[in-house]
Amino acid sequence: MKNLLTSLFNLLPSETVFAHCDIPCGIYDPHQAQLAAHTIIRMMNLVGEVHEEDPKMLAHQISRITKVKEEHAESVKHEVTVLWGDYFKEEHLKDYPKLHELVFKTLKLASKARQGLDLEVAKELLANVQTISEIFYKTKGLEPVRVKSPYPTEGELVIFK
Amino acid sequence: VRALPISRFIVSGNSMVPLLSEGKSVVSFNWYYLLSKPKIGDIVVAQVGKRLVVKKISAIRAKEVFLIGEYRDKSTDSRNFGWVKHTQLIGKVILSF
Repeated sequence: MKNLLTSLFNLLPSETVFAHCDIPCGIYDPHQAQLAAHTIIRMMNLVGEVHEEDPKMLAHQISRITKVKEEHAESVKHEVTVLWGDYFKEEHLKDYPKLHELVFKTLKLASKARQGLDLEVAKELLANVQTISEIFYKTKGLEPVRVKSPYPTEGELVIFK
Repeated sequence: VRALPISRFIVSGNSMVPLLSEGKSVVSFNWYYLLSKPKIGDIVVAQVGKRLVVKKISAIRAKEVFLIGEYRDKSTDSRNFGWVKHTQLIGKVILSF
């Protein structure tokens, strides 16, 4: 029934209706999401490295590290959501049909990384963000490459040639 | 009020993601608000300046509605262009495909 209706409605002339964001600037970059994912790994490592005799200072240091970890988990969610909502289009889904699922899993991992201290979760989050970055560059007609990051995490960064 | 009861529009932009994404067709029933009052949550096509916009009604006051995008971080809506008069509503979205 819906198919019949849509076929009939397709016969109607169409007009453009706008659902625009503030400034369609066209400037998108997956780098910030990668930076944030690396930061989460670094913060989880730092939690295990804190040496403080004074319990007050120990609580203080752990609190500071946790705050940064949580902020960067939110940053991953924000950056990935912007790419998903503003940049990726229907035509990209034809080439990358699992993109929605990948974004969904990435957002869930970011929330999990925010809540806990499981390094494996943080590593999986970074891997997902790297995959999204590769897809992003490919949709731009660029060739993505993985290089060793200069960060203490020693993980990789996805850039393009 | 448009003479035709039904119009088809193609969505441009992402402020209604995930409900409506770029390139989707939406069909509006243009006589809907002759018979019914606007309700919060209605997806509507409205004339704002020279543009037609598709947004959701988030608040109602006498003869005016407040429209917002579904993806609020990235939407130009009544927070920018203010309250919209009932007479600016083209129709209620009844179908998207």
